[in-house]
Amino acid sequence: MFSLTLRQISRNSFVGANVSAFNVSKYSTVPEATLDIQKCTLHKLEHGPPTQATVTREDAIRFYWDMRTVRRMETMAGNLYKAKQIRGFCHLYSGQEAVCVGMESSITKDDAVITAYRAHGWTYVRGVAPHAILGELTGRASGCAKGKGGSMHMYTKNFYGGNGIVGAQVPLGAGIAFGLKYENKPNICVTLYGDGAANQGQLFEAYNMAKLWNLPCVFVCENNGYGMGTSVERASASTDYYSRGDYIPGMRIDGMDVLAVREATKFAREYALNNGPILIEAATYRYHGHSMSDPGTSYRAREEIKEMRETRDPITVFRRKILECNLVTPEELKKVDIEVDKEIDKAADQAKKDPEIPLGELYNNIYIHPDPDYTVRGCDPSIRVISH
Amino acid sequence: MASAFGHFGRRSIQFTGFRRILHYDPCNIVQRSTSEIRSFHLNRNVDASIPVAMPALSPTMTEGTIVKWHKKEGDPISPGDMLCDIQTDKAVITFDIEEEGILAKILKAENSKNVKIGSMIAVMVEEGEDWQNAEIPESSESSSEASTSSEPSSAPSAGEPTARIRMSPAARKMMEEYNISSPQTVPATGPHGMVNKGDVLKYIQTQHLTKIDLRKAAQVPPSPQKSTPTTPSTPTSSPVTRVPPSITVSPEGGYQDIETTNMRRVIAKRLTESKTMIPHSYVSIECKVDAAMKLRKKFIASGTKISMNDIIVKAAGYSLQRVQKVNSHWSGDSIQIQPTVDISVAVATDSGLITPIVRNAAELSLSQISSTTKALAVKARDGKLQPQEFQGGSFTISNLGMFGIGEFSAIINPPQTAVLAVGTSVLKPSAEGKPCSYLTVKMSYDSRAIDETEASQFLEKFQQVMENPSLLMV
Repeated sequence: MFSLTLRQISRNSFVGANVSAFNVSKYSTVPEATLDIQKCTLHKLEHGPPTQATVTREDAIRFYWDMRTVRRMETMAGNLYKAKQIRGFCHLYSGQEAVCVGMESSITKDDAVITAYRAHGWTYVRGVAPHAILGELTGRASGCAKGKGGSMHMYTKNFYGGNGIVGAQVPLGAGIAFGLKYENKPNICVTLYGDGAANQGQLFEAYNMAKLWNLPCVFVCENNGYGMGTSVERASASTDYYSRGDYIPGMRIDGMDVLAVREATKFAREYALNNGPILIEAATYRYHGHSMSDPGTSYRAREEIKEMRETRDPITVFRRKILECNLVTPEELKKVDIEVDKEIDKAADQAKKDPEIPLGELYNNIYIHPDPDYTVRGCDPSIRVISH
Repeated sequence: MASAFGHFGRRSIQFTGFRRILHYDPCNIVQRSTSEIRSFHLNRNVDASIPVAMPALSPTMTEGTIVKWHKKEGDPISPGDMLCDIQTDKAVITFDIEEEGILAKILKAENSKNVKIGSMIAVMVEEGEDWQNAEIPESSESSSEASTSSEPSSAPSAGEPTARIRMSPAARKMMEEYNISSPQTVPATGPHGMVNKGDVLKYIQTQHLTKIDLRKAAQVPPSPQKSTPTTPSTPTSSPVTRVPPSITVSPEGGYQDIETTNMRRVIAKRLTESKTMIPHSYVSIECKVDAAMKLRKKFIASGTKISMNDIIVKAAGYSLQRVQKVNSHWSGDSIQIQPTVDISVAVATDSGLITPIVRNAAELSLSQISSTTKALAVKARDGKLQPQEFQGGSFTISNLGMFGIGEFSAIINPPQTAVLAVGTSVLKPSAEGKPCSYLTVKMSYDSRAIDETEASQFLEKFQQVMENPSLLMV
C-alpha cells in the first residue's frame, strides 16, 4: 500500500537507535511477534482497528528506545526545573509516551501534527533531537526555537507546536487539514487536545467544518483523567470523549499500549484520507502534576499514581510483552536503557553549557523574508536594528 | 548483573574522581572522559553514585529546611516515590524523586535548616550496588568553597615571610586571653587575610577554649553550640517536628543570640508594619461577668465544656453583627465591611503567635465555638494549620486572662480594623457594694476606619451581652 512504503522509507531516518547494532544477537530471538490488543469502543463505526498487532524486532526496540528517551528526557526536564535551570512553564509527558510514539510510527513525515502545551514528547518524535529540546527549555541558542520559545513553543517541519491557549490548536488543526486537502496532498493532520480542552466551544466548530468539508483531520483526545486538578467526572457531563464528535465517528483506545495506538492510528489515517474526519480518544495517564508548580497529589491519591506506574506503565508493560514473546533479550533492553540515559545526560550537560542568544536576536524572526536593510525600532526611538 | 555489563567492562574505582569516604585525594588529578563531564546532580555513570540535590520546589525558593525523610538508608526507591518533606518559603512540600535505585546515604538529616538549592542532600546508587560503601560524589560547590577559603588563609602565610599575621586589635586581645599561641591556626575571613574578632570567636567555639585570665574568676566555660541533630532520623520520628531555636552563648560578655525562625521574622515584619502604618486608638470597658460565669457553670454541669473565651467570642460575634463597621477591612482608601463574622483567635505556640480563624462565629453555637477553637489550637501547636485557616478573618480576639493580666492592648492585624484584648476577671465591689467579677476588655481600633462613637457602641453592645448572656440565645 502507498502509505506502507512511505513508512518504510521514513523508518530509516528516525531519531535515535542504531538498529543494525541490535541485529546480531547471541540469543535466539524471533524476528517478529503478534500481540493482542484491547478491543476499541466504537462510535458510528462498523468495524475498528484489528485486535492483534504484529511487531518486528526492529520496531519493538525502536518503540522501546523512543519511549525511554521521552521518559528520561521529561525526568531530566523536571530535574533541571528543580535546579532552576528551566524557568517558567514546564508540562511533563511522563506516562503518556505510548501515544506519541505509537502515533508517530503510523504517520509519515509529511503528515502534520499539532498539539497543546504538553508537547516535549511530540517534539522529539517529530524529529527534534533531545539536545535541541533541552536547549530550548533552558533557553539556549541551540534550542529548536533558538531559546526564544521555551517549553510551550517548540516547532519543526510539519509540527505546529506547542500551543499555550487551551483548545486553541484544534481549529488550527482543522485548518491545516483544510490546507492539505486544498493542495491535494495525500496527508492528514493529527490534532491533539486533552480532556480539559474537550469541552471548549471552538472544538465543536472545528468538528462541524471538518465534517462538512470532509477534511483529512484525525482529532485525538489525550484523556489523562485530569484537566489540571479537575477529574473528568467533575468536569464533563459526558466522559465518552470519543463520542463527543457526534456526527464524526470515533473510538476509544488504550493509550498506554503503544501497539494499540499504532494500529488505531493506522486505521484512522486511512479513514481520514478516504472518508473525512475521525476522532480518537486515547485513555492515558500522567504521573506528574499538571505542570511543575503542581505536585499532582492534592487531587488524586498517591496510591493511584503508584498503581498506574506498576500495572499500566507503557514502558514497563511493553518491555514485559516483548521479553515474554522473545522479540528481544533483557541485555539488549538494558543496553538501550544505558544508551538512552547517557544520551540524555550528555544532552543536558551540553544544554547547560550552551550560550544564550545575543540581544540582537530580539529583533529577528519578525517577518519571514524581510528586505536586507529592514530595520526595527527599539524601545528608545534612537535604537534601530536590522531585522533578519 | 555481571552479564549485563559484560562487554562494557567495569571502570576501575580509582579513576572515578570521587572523594571516597576512607581515602582522601586532595590533588584530585583524576581525569574524566570529556563526554561525561562532572555535572552536578545530573551525571549518571554506569557504576557511580547518583547525587541528589536540594530541589527548588517553588520558583522563589533559594533555601529550605528538610523536615522529614520518608526513606531510610538502604531503602529501594522507585520513580515517583516520596523522598522527603521540605519546608520552602511558602509551605511544606513533599519532594518526589524520579530516579530509580537505592538510597545510599542521607547527607542532610531531618531538621537541617537553610539547605541551599543545589547542595547535595543524599546519595543514591543503582539497584544491586553496594549501598553501604557508596562513594559520596564530590560536589563542585564544596570544591570551589574549599578553594576560595583556602586562599585567604594561605595569603597571610605566603605573603608575609615572617609569622606576622594581620589581625584586628580586638582579635589580638582575644587571642591573648584565650592563649591561642599559634595565630596561623585561626582561619581568617577579613580583607587581605586579616583575622577578625569574629574569626577568633568562631575558632574559640569550635575548639572549646577557655579564658586563661585569672582575673575573671567566675568565668563560665563557653558551652558548645546547641547544634541540630546530625544523626539519621529513627523511623518512629513524629511528623513535622518543630525545630527549637538554637541558642548560641558567646564566651565573652554572656549575651545570647536566639535565632529567629521564619515565622518570627514574618511576625516581626507584620507587627512593625501594623504599628507604624495604622493609627491605633484605644477604648476599654469593664463587664460584669457573674452571669456569664454562672452560665458557663450550668453548661459544664450539663455536660458541654465551654470556656469564658468561647462566651467572649460569641459575644463579640453578636456585637459585630450589630455594629458592622467594626467587622471590616481597610483596603488602602476604603472600608470594606465583611459579609461574615470570622473571628481570629490568638493562640500562643512555641514559634510565635498565630491566629486561626473561627469562621462565621456569630452563627455558631457556644459548643461549636468551643470545639472549633480547641481543634484549631491543637493544629496550631502542631504546625498543621492550612493557609485558609489562618489567613483572612475580620476581627481578632487575644486573651491573656490565663496569665492574670488585668488589662493590655493588642496590635491590630491588617487588613482587619480592630482587635480585642481580654484580661482576667477580678473581684471588685460593685456600685451597690456587692463583690462582683469584672472583666476588662480593651479594643485597639484603626482610626481611619472606625471612629470613637462606633467603637464605643461596639463595646457597649459587648458589655450588654456579656452581662446578659441570655441575649446570646437569640
